[in-house]
Amino acid sequence: MTSTLPARAPGAGGVAPVALLSAEALRANAAHASAASGSNALAADAWGHGAEWVASVIAEMGGDAATLDPAALYGLPGAHTRPVMSLRGRALGTKPLLRGEGVSYGYTHRAPHDTTVALVTGGYAQGVVRSLGNRATVSIDGRRHRIVGRVAMDVSVVDVGEAPIARGAEVVFFGDPALGHPSLEEWTDATGLMAAEIVAAVGSRAERSVIA
Amino acid sequence: MTTTYRVDLDAFSRNLHRVRAAIAPAAHMLVVKDDAYAHGLEPLVSRAFDEGVRWFGAFDVATGAAVRAVVGPEARIFVWLIGGAEDLAAGVAADLDLGIGDEALLDDLAGLSEPAGVARIHLKIDTGLHRNGIRPERWDEALARTAELVAQGRGVLEGIWSHISEASDADDDDARAVFLAGRDAARAAGLAPRFSHLAASAAGFARGEFREDLVRVGAFSYGIRPAGGPGEDDLGIEPIATLVATVTAVDAAGVHLDLGSLHGLPSTLAGRFDVDTPAGPRRVEAIAPASLSVAPWPEAAPGDEVVVFGRGARNSATDLAELIDTIGEEIALRVSPTVPRRYLSA
Repeated sequence: MTSTLPARAPGAGGVAPVALLSAEALRANAAHASAASGSNALAADAWGHGAEWVASVIAEMGGDAATLDPAALYGLPGAHTRPVMSLRGRALGTKPLLRGEGVSYGYTHRAPHDTTVALVTGGYAQGVVRSLGNRATVSIDGRRHRIVGRVAMDVSVVDVGEAPIARGAEVVFFGDPALGHPSLEEWTDATGLMAAEIVAAVGSRAERSVIA
Repeated sequence: MTTTYRVDLDAFSRNLHRVRAAIAPAAHMLVVKDDAYAHGLEPLVSRAFDEGVRWFGAFDVATGAAVRAVVGPEARIFVWLIGGAEDLAAGVAADLDLGIGDEALLDDLAGLSEPAGVARIHLKIDTGLHRNGIRPERWDEALARTAELVAQGRGVLEGIWSHISEASDADDDDARAVFLAGRDAARAAGLAPRFSHLAASAAGFARGEFREDLVRVGAFSYGIRPAGGPGEDDLGIEPIATLVATVTAVDAAGVHLDLGSLHGLPSTLAGRFDVDTPAGPRRVEAIAPASLSVAPWPEAAPGDEVVVFGRGARNSATDLAELIDTIGEEIALRVSPTVPRRYLSA
């Protein structure tokens, strides 16, 4: 018996984090991307961006995605092009966290003072690398907040301090630094992983959604 | 590419029987979230149902509905992260058991205009993890709200549950005390939860008093041992999945395989582990986006298969995890869905 898995459960809209893909950034990058050296931009479902989508957008421009430099095409750190992918979760709710209380498995974080934490969709099953706990920040309503405690399989906890966070508020894990989003570079610095494998994991497990 | 992730369903069955024996008389809730820990939802759920598993932990409503489609009406399916009123209504309609760890969801339930049925509520008390779960100081209020929903015929309080931190036995004992007090309070409020559940794999095996009625076991069912904890033999479980890659080229730099970090093998493992070859163990020297280089051995040839990790390999998922300070679950979950799964069964 052989089976190729679907990338995700259909319609996992309730609590699934979303890998937003910018068609505009992809087109702009394609115009500047040099010829590929080594890796094929369509490998592993186009580095998690969706091979069918990437190939069709580039074909509409008269190009062949497989011949372009993947780092430039997808806007990975160091390529000086625009990030195509942004990972978004949602704040499902907030609650008080009192001084001395621990967070998540192993209590690797304890609150130094009374604060408020938000439960955010997105964990290591969707490519939010487990070692980002206590190291990375997310952006909610334009403000940065730290991920506290261990990243779990499907959720993370964020210390939001005094900031008012609406139920369902969008959380940007990474995106376009020009828009104030956390950069993928912050993730590569914190984890030692390559940007390529981070976007490949996120794009293949989060729910992909293309925006113009 | 011919890299495959081979899943041995007979080994999975043996683990299920081992879990059942270890946690008896509590029942096994098989956790199948995230595509059954990336092993493939449908084949694993189907096999588990055939082996007598009657509780499934699906995490979200979409996965719960997918499990329901596989197992039909007989099994109980528990979901515990619910995005709001619409998600909640879908969960009721799919006949799921609903883990509720946020008072706002009780309001959502009260506000559903035409619910498809009576919601089976499993109310979650926060016993220290501070993810979802109702804080103890708000628990009585949540119970009162739940009692109203029960009186209105909108819900039944089917369970009380929590997650524990596994930071230390003492921390878990503290968490259990909060949990038991929460259950006593529910009973005092006239609510009679049929099911209590607190433990996952590790505490379910090691600590009898944590088992209660149901133990939510994912990792051990898939043969994933805890990082820094007891070995597979001590636990009586076995890895069920193997990542197998194929030699594409052999040159002066080594033997190259058709598997890379884009397929989910963390590049931080480069230079840190060996794979078995016909000539003995050889080091994985480089992990590129779409390829992997192994130190050479005589007679290596394109088309040869190399077992990278898992069942039958030198290293399990957890062995690799320990090299980069993480847990076996993360190694397993990173295996890309672009790698074809192949299911073996005698």
